[in-house]
Amino acid sequence: MSCLHKIGLLMLTLVFASPSASIAQQSGTSQYKCMIQMTNYMGEGAYIVVSLINGKGAYEKTLYVLGSDKKWYPDVKEWHKALGKKTPNISAITGASVAGGDRSVVMLDIDNAKINKDYKLRFESAVEDKNYHVKDLEIPLTTEALSAKSEGTGYIRYVRFSPNTSN
Amino acid sequence: MTISVWRYSHLALAVSSFLLLALASITGVILAFEPVSQKMQPYRVDTFSELTLAQTLPVLKKNIAEISELSVDANQFVLVKGSDENGKNLTAYVDPQTGKILGEPTEQSEFFQWATALHRSLFLKEIGRFFIGLTAFLLLLITVSGTMLIIQRQRGLKRFFTRIVRDNFAQYYHVVLGRLSLIPIFVIALSGTYLSLERFGLVNTEKISPRVNFDAIQSKPQRQLADFAVFNDIRLSEVQRIEFPFSDDVEDYYTLKLKDRELTVNQITGDILSDDRYPTAVLLTNLSLDLHTGRANALWAIILAVAAGNILFFIYSGFAITWKRRANRVRNNYSADESRFIILVGSENGSTFRFAQLIHQQLLNQGEKSFLTEFNKYTVFPKAEHLIALTATYGLGDAPTNARRFATLVEQYPQPQPVRYSVLGFGSHAYPDFCKFAFEVNQLLSRQSWAVPLVDIHTVNDKSPEEFGLWAEAWSQQTKLPMSVSSDLLKTPPPKLDTLTVTDNTRTAQPDGTFLVRLRANRRNGVTSGDLLAIYPANDHRERLYSIGVLDHELQLSVRLHPGGFGSGFLHELTPGQTIQARVVSNNHFHFPQKAPEVVMIANGTGIAPFLGMISENKQQIPCHLYCGFRQRASFTMYREFLEASQSAQQLTTLHVAYSREGDKQYVSNLLTRDADFIANVLAMNGVLMICGSLGMQKDVLELLETICQTKLGKSVSDYQSHSQILMDCY
Repeated sequence: MSCLHKIGLLMLTLVFASPSASIAQQSGTSQYKCMIQMTNYMGEGAYIVVSLINGKGAYEKTLYVLGSDKKWYPDVKEWHKALGKKTPNISAITGASVAGGDRSVVMLDIDNAKINKDYKLRFESAVEDKNYHVKDLEIPLTTEALSAKSEGTGYIRYVRFSPNTSN
Repeated sequence: MTISVWRYSHLALAVSSFLLLALASITGVILAFEPVSQKMQPYRVDTFSELTLAQTLPVLKKNIAEISELSVDANQFVLVKGSDENGKNLTAYVDPQTGKILGEPTEQSEFFQWATALHRSLFLKEIGRFFIGLTAFLLLLITVSGTMLIIQRQRGLKRFFTRIVRDNFAQYYHVVLGRLSLIPIFVIALSGTYLSLERFGLVNTEKISPRVNFDAIQSKPQRQLADFAVFNDIRLSEVQRIEFPFSDDVEDYYTLKLKDRELTVNQITGDILSDDRYPTAVLLTNLSLDLHTGRANALWAIILAVAAGNILFFIYSGFAITWKRRANRVRNNYSADESRFIILVGSENGSTFRFAQLIHQQLLNQGEKSFLTEFNKYTVFPKAEHLIALTATYGLGDAPTNARRFATLVEQYPQPQPVRYSVLGFGSHAYPDFCKFAFEVNQLLSRQSWAVPLVDIHTVNDKSPEEFGLWAEAWSQQTKLPMSVSSDLLKTPPPKLDTLTVTDNTRTAQPDGTFLVRLRANRRNGVTSGDLLAIYPANDHRERLYSIGVLDHELQLSVRLHPGGFGSGFLHELTPGQTIQARVVSNNHFHFPQKAPEVVMIANGTGIAPFLGMISENKQQIPCHLYCGFRQRASFTMYREFLEASQSAQQLTTLHVAYSREGDKQYVSNLLTRDADFIANVLAMNGVLMICGSLGMQKDVLELLETICQTKLGKSVSDYQSHSQILMDCY
């Protein structure tokens, strides 16, 4: 009985801990819809990279790149140094750059095991001939943060998340 | 050489920008094909322009799992961003009517990306953008100065699109194409300049954020998407982009970015939450992008490509014109003070300089001291014996820029010694005021006490080497200095000589009498009375010219026998049946006017020759009046019978004869003084005066006509000359 109970409890924990139930349990990752709303800055479209940062503050994974022309990747300096150069194929997680005042909605695949474990999501932004923001926005990768709205410090006005519920 | 401000700035601007301009034009031509190639893709649906959002959005929402954004591009392709049923990011073109996915957008090709970067910034980022922007602005100024030059050239805005006179390939097409592509190039330059200003933040295009009052948001009544009034009103074709609500929360709304304004719409009730028109600067930016890139219209894109290609041609032809002009610069080996020959040039675009240089060079080669300068540099020439004035006419019969002060200078600097002058006018019959300024110069000089006419004023139509040759021949005969028309001017080889058969020769018994020679051309070759016959008495380069009258399809020459005369002696000895080699020189400016209501013919001596032919050919019986002067009655006798017959046939209306050595001892000018009212009337009624005979007679007659014109008509005689109402062929 105790064994069954333990399994049941584990199941329950998993179900309630991971917001996007069905896929999460199959693949170990969850999908989050992420909206990036830009400020009304003047200038070219911004290149924004969303990365997973580990507890030591090091880049661990590229989650999304907004901006498709590789010519400008070196402008997103820290990411380019750490991951951008070696990331082999990011075409599946690449979209268009975002201009001032616009917004962009992207899907992020996040490993369930990294949530609530001292990881961070970093939004890094660069605009041609304008300032570069290494931490335009950085939020702890927690269940809480992944359902809230967070204010940016550079070209990003705010970022909103919501678990993907389309299935 | 003075040149107008517009031309100078046109050139200066072109020189300072041509490299970047060429680069921008080449890449511009390439880039024009991007919208054209895009529009060939099959993503546009035919019903696009009719569809409303109420028709489209529900269909799309049903077919696509999650839509975050919908955008309509310049090709009217509908692009949807969102995710598919597996939660994968999705970006695809869709059919707005059925919601079917049509295809994925392809990335801009590397080549167009490369061309775009070069076109915008020369690969130099900010600095490059600045220089390209500057180039666009310079192009704008070039277009403006070019327009001013065309207006000047065409003599007024109203004549902007009238015919352009063809000078040479580069010049002609520079103007023709300039006129045609003026508007597209102006649009390219203006929109390019605007986009650069916008790029550098000099135009405020700051976006507005919609102000939504969240406290007032209603969640009732709930309506279907297809029932939203605002979605039923807005057509897909008005949309640039629609941002879908991020979640189902009532505080998340639709944002509709239309062509001219931005709306936010409650996702549950369909209420409009905010409505903001874009600032004008944003609308102008969009318009500039449409116009500059041709993205909205394939036809316009092609027009832009052609216009950009034209810019390349303008760079080439503009420099070709400048190069030619510079090649015409004056080089003088002798000073104005020591030269025997003074050549004055009035030229607007430098082409008359070429002829002046030719004369100048030949005189120098013969060891003569010749000085070439422009009219505005006229001064006292203490050693001058000959003055050759070559001038074009600019605008509405005005002086070319470098001859404007001539009239004042002539009054200011009388020459201390007699100077023999000759005026040669350059122009084109395509303009109504043909060589008007040259006629004015001739008038002006003839009034100077120091000025002695050497050769009658000659005109050169459309740089005709033949007409220039006529002057050179006449001048050469008077000065006994060879003056040949060099081979580069005479591009056509000298025409072949015709064989003519002598049919009659009246001879004369007196040593200085007049006789008539009749010749028949073996080949019919459109000879007209007033043309000249060039004969070669010694079969060498020496030619002599005689006026032709065409009677009964035969060429009749009226010749005065000069003792020991080279030409007249030769002609006098001809016998019927004999053949000679000669050449007919077309003399278009002295043909019988076809459309004149009335014609007055003025002649002395053998100058009557062309008129005899004209009268015999006057089958339409245009009113014709002949005023002729002779020394004695005997000289007239040979024409009397013919002229009286013509009068009864109504081919000649009136006949007035003056004898200078018998009876009243009158000159032909005395007859004209008597009939001054009649002459003035003829001119006023657009009639034509034709003068043929000696230069002395011409001078008297012109002076008389000047008086008549001034007193009775209030205009100068040169006015009538330039309108081909006074035709002259004197020697």
